[in-house]
Amino acid sequence: MSEEVLEEKLGVIGWIVIVIGLILTLFPVFWIISTSIKPMGQWLTYPPVFIPEKIAVENYVNIFTGAALFTTFANVPVITHSIVDSAICSVFGTLFSIAIGILAAFGVSRHKLGGEFFPVFLLSARMAPPIAAVIPLLVLYSILGLVDTYQGLILAYACFTSPYSTWMIASFIDEVPVELEQSAQVDGLSTIESHFKVTLPLIKGGLVATSLFVFILNWSEFLLALCLTHGKIMTIPVQIRSFTVYSGILYGPQSAFGVIAIIPLIIFSLIIQKHLVRGLTFGAVKR
Amino acid sequence: MLDKLRKEFGRLVAVNDLSVEVEDRSLVSFLGPSGCGKTTTLRMIAGLIRPTSGSIYFNDTLVNELKPQERKVGLVFQDYAIFPTMNAFDNIAFGLKVRGIPKNEIRKRVMEIAELLRIKDILEVTPGRMTQSELQSVAVARTLVTNPSVLLLDEPLSNLDAAFRVRMRAELKRLQREIAQTVIYVTHDQIEAMSMSDKIAVMNYGILHQYDTPYEIYNHPKTRFVASFIGSPPMNFIEGTFLEDNGGFVDIGVSRINVSKYGNMIKKESSSPEVTVGARPEDIEVFHKKESRDSIEVNVEVYEPMGDEAVVDVSIGGTLVRITTPITFSANPGEKKYVEFDTDKIHIIDRRTEKVIV
Amino acid sequence: MASIRFENVSKSFRRKKVLDDVSFEVKDKEFFCILGPPGAGKTTLFRLLAGVEKPDEGKIYIDGQVVNDVPPRYRDVSMLFETLALFPNKTGFENIAFPLRIRKMPEDQIKERVLTVARSLKIEHLLDREPRTFSGGERQRVALAKTIIRRPRVFLLDEPLSNIDALLRLNMRIELKRLASELGQTIMYSTHDQAEATSMGQRIAVIDKGVIHQIGIPSELYNHPVDKTAALFIGSPPMNFVECAYEEEGNKSYLRGPFQVDTTEYTRLIDENATSKELILGVRPEHIIVSKEPTSRKVAEGIITSFEPIGSKTIVHVKTREDVTITAVGLPWGDYSVGDKVWIDFEPDKFHIIDKKTDKVLA
Repeated sequence: MSEEVLEEKLGVIGWIVIVIGLILTLFPVFWIISTSIKPMGQWLTYPPVFIPEKIAVENYVNIFTGAALFTTFANVPVITHSIVDSAICSVFGTLFSIAIGILAAFGVSRHKLGGEFFPVFLLSARMAPPIAAVIPLLVLYSILGLVDTYQGLILAYACFTSPYSTWMIASFIDEVPVELEQSAQVDGLSTIESHFKVTLPLIKGGLVATSLFVFILNWSEFLLALCLTHGKIMTIPVQIRSFTVYSGILYGPQSAFGVIAIIPLIIFSLIIQKHLVRGLTFGAVKR
Repeated sequence: MLDKLRKEFGRLVAVNDLSVEVEDRSLVSFLGPSGCGKTTTLRMIAGLIRPTSGSIYFNDTLVNELKPQERKVGLVFQDYAIFPTMNAFDNIAFGLKVRGIPKNEIRKRVMEIAELLRIKDILEVTPGRMTQSELQSVAVARTLVTNPSVLLLDEPLSNLDAAFRVRMRAELKRLQREIAQTVIYVTHDQIEAMSMSDKIAVMNYGILHQYDTPYEIYNHPKTRFVASFIGSPPMNFIEGTFLEDNGGFVDIGVSRINVSKYGNMIKKESSSPEVTVGARPEDIEVFHKKESRDSIEVNVEVYEPMGDEAVVDVSIGGTLVRITTPITFSANPGEKKYVEFDTDKIHIIDRRTEKVIV
Repeated sequence: MASIRFENVSKSFRRKKVLDDVSFEVKDKEFFCILGPPGAGKTTLFRLLAGVEKPDEGKIYIDGQVVNDVPPRYRDVSMLFETLALFPNKTGFENIAFPLRIRKMPEDQIKERVLTVARSLKIEHLLDREPRTFSGGERQRVALAKTIIRRPRVFLLDEPLSNIDALLRLNMRIELKRLASELGQTIMYSTHDQAEATSMGQRIAVIDKGVIHQIGIPSELYNHPVDKTAALFIGSPPMNFVECAYEEEGNKSYLRGPFQVDTTEYTRLIDENATSKELILGVRPEHIIVSKEPTSRKVAEGIITSFEPIGSKTIVHVKTREDVTITAVGLPWGDYSVGDKVWIDFEPDKFHIIDKKTDKVLA
């Protein structure tokens, strides 16, 4: 009886709060989608058009063909290049970040490497604005010849996100009682073997969740990509800027680009959603 | 205050048609193995779960529709549910603060309860630094301070180690007597239930087997389950067949047990001659020699000295029987001894219905 | 051969000393019980022995060899952790087979062994299910199966029965004993329940706050405890401790308190070993006799404050005139009521004299 009453109370106010939250979060997405199917004339109208009557498919087509738009004396940039570059850098950046994260997380969680405050210290490194690190990084990269290379950007992505991956994976490892490893050690495994054969399989969900988090960070990362690449490699966030032409901003194609940029993330999330839920609500080893 | 409960709970039939009347100011235990429905019953009394059917009365008032906070019950969970960030005083005062009771009144009541439970000197301490028994006392204090009409305890002693448990049992009982509080107590430990309760409700698989005083439950169990569950070491059961000759004997294979006292009763009440004999370890005597006609020869399997007594496992035919004897009797595994059953204390159980006939 | 020896072992965690100069020996094939309250250091002791922790001081020997620096997997020890340590993502079969898989035993042998063990513990039906579907008792048995499937030199069972229902615990105790005698290996067993320790162990070590107080066979600990802690931990209900004043009159001596005890035969012992005249009288509840009429001289008068009928006997709490509470064991279903005036006496020669300051038992 008390459960139903609770539901009731939550009902009205709760629902209102939830709906407002949803609107605030999803409106920008909706706007981008809507703009991407508007013909040029409706991009900047006031009062704003929410749902155009005619769907302007040419926005989507143009960004792949680079067609010239006579009224603006410009070509729409081709985006295939940047999609590929973003994919490569994000995927590999994430992989390396997770790899580093796993090793570091075991060190921090199981072996208390770096002392009690090391995790906090690690995370604090990310609290400094990245922009402060960019110039020195650029200098370093030019010396090493890593500017405008895949290796360079991937390395940067891996390093900048490894505090997050270490922190997150460490917290998942903490959920697994160390006694499982110890019991396996008593049965015959070495310490490292017990990490990889016992605990790692148990945090699969956590690893997936962390990968998604890091991937999103990398995919939408702008600053590093902007500074460390000079054109040979161009990621999606960087290329979005190139929609500004002499006469203004090509919102239509730009929005179309935006929609396309979101799609991989959505697909990725849907695919791993099953593992995500399991990972986060594991329910661990109960006593 | 009277609680008359009659409940059925459809899902998984967790509690099946339970009717129990709890007397005002008494301590009643719900006893049974895990999953027998006792915790579910407790939660229904508290108002956390709705019964599928049946009614709950406090003092002749129907309380089915009342929310937990309206019922004036105090519930102590198995894991105490104490707020870790507040010290003992604040924890205990919480219920009163929420009800908007003035500060000095709160202070007075908390001190009273703390005095009663002997936790005055830890009022400033936080849960992180308390021992298990202190935590438990605070949990109890927290519910008592709101003056509940019924105090509900859900296996409160199961987290304590054996020695503490023995002490806390006496403490809780003393407390209950002193403040004349109606208490309903859930446990799976029959020693706990026996030592503390005015009455015990023994349950299994959602069904109430017997609701009686400890004396009755121990000496006159109604079903085989009750007989087997109460008593430590547990009762021994030997299967046999009832024979009418010479008044009445139970044939247990290698020997016979004289039950002529109950011959007629068994004949009348039993659904078949297939019976089980139940005898408690303390009601069986062991001898070095054959003492009388009724002595049965047995093989000693295990001899365990336990302080003042010894526990002897013997085999009668194929059945292992456990006997407690004073430490003065000693034996070694493999020896042959003789046992006699105290026929005044013996129980005869109908094997098919599992009901105790004698 | 699998004897164990701890020599002056100490271990601290975060500056708190958990084990303090612990020394003891376990003989080959012995069933050795460690008895103590939670936090006494039992689990730490086991973990040191298994090798997942290293001692700060002292040496640990298995089979005469120092194993301080030997990693767990080479110690040939099997441990049942208090928390059971079952892999939640593996089936019952996989869990039990795990130790054998590590040793790369051939698959068909593994299968055979797992089935044998499962059969003896009656858990065949759990082999293809996962731990989260098991009940408490089932998890315990699967964890136990996993521990005994190998044949190491030493078995360590850390409070294996502490989280099980009272009734199931009794049954499991019997099963464990049977299993232990079948296996015939050296077994170390820890518990906080003295009844368990007494019924299962060949020898028991009483430990409290990281210090071992006494080691001996159950009857020895019961009849001849060396100090107050050992006396307190064995026997249920626990021993009564009554503070008394010691007096010498001529060539006789007495302990005065609620009881008047003639301690003449121990006068010399007391004189030699006691540190002061403050002594404690220790009597077990089962040796105390409660009667409705006064009997002999030793007798104390009191009132029943509460009683607990537990079937085969009744535990009676009596408060004497001197405001001391004594616990006694009375007749089952005896005629006791709160407020009854009774006289309590105890069996001759069944008492202990304890030095109040040192806590050591003098007689």
